[in-house]
Amino acid sequence: MDSFSSPSSGSSPSQPSPEVFMDQLKTQLAQAYAEEFLETVRGKCFTKCVTKPGSSLSGGESSCVSRCVDRYIEATGIISRALFSSQR
Amino acid sequence: MDSSALNSADLQRFIEQEKQKAMVNEMVAKLTDVCWDKCITGTPGSKFSSGETTCLTYCAQRYMDMSMMIMKRFQSMQ
Repeated sequence: MDSFSSPSSGSSPSQPSPEVFMDQLKTQLAQAYAEEFLETVRGKCFTKCVTKPGSSLSGGESSCVSRCVDRYIEATGIISRALFSSQR
Repeated sequence: MDSSALNSADLQRFIEQEKQKAMVNEMVAKLTDVCWDKCITGTPGSKFSSGETTCLTYCAQRYMDMSMMIMKRFQSMQ
């Protein structure tokens, strides 16, 4: 988010072209969103799957984490459909 | 399109659109977070049960209902 405040470093003109600005903004928003999502999934799946941390991740824990990640992504889809297709 | 042509109006519209998208993303992320805790009580399986799916759907919709209710409640206090 910092690069909004300071004009983009490294590019030739002091004023970046609008296209460049728009692209940068989109990329940064997507990155921020992905990071936030990852952090949430980490938290949720750690709570669910690693209930008693041992000396290493067990096979059971690993497969729980895989399933948890898949289900969390699926849940995001279900929620978004619940909100934006009010038919069902 | 050169920068002067694109200036205010187009850029404003673009920023407005991105703001909207960010708000929607935020809302979905928040509701998924809350409803996950409410609806997915066991360890995640390889498939959601129909109960879990229904719970997630209802949870999101009721949250929106409640949010409207609270807004109205506050408006009536002024």
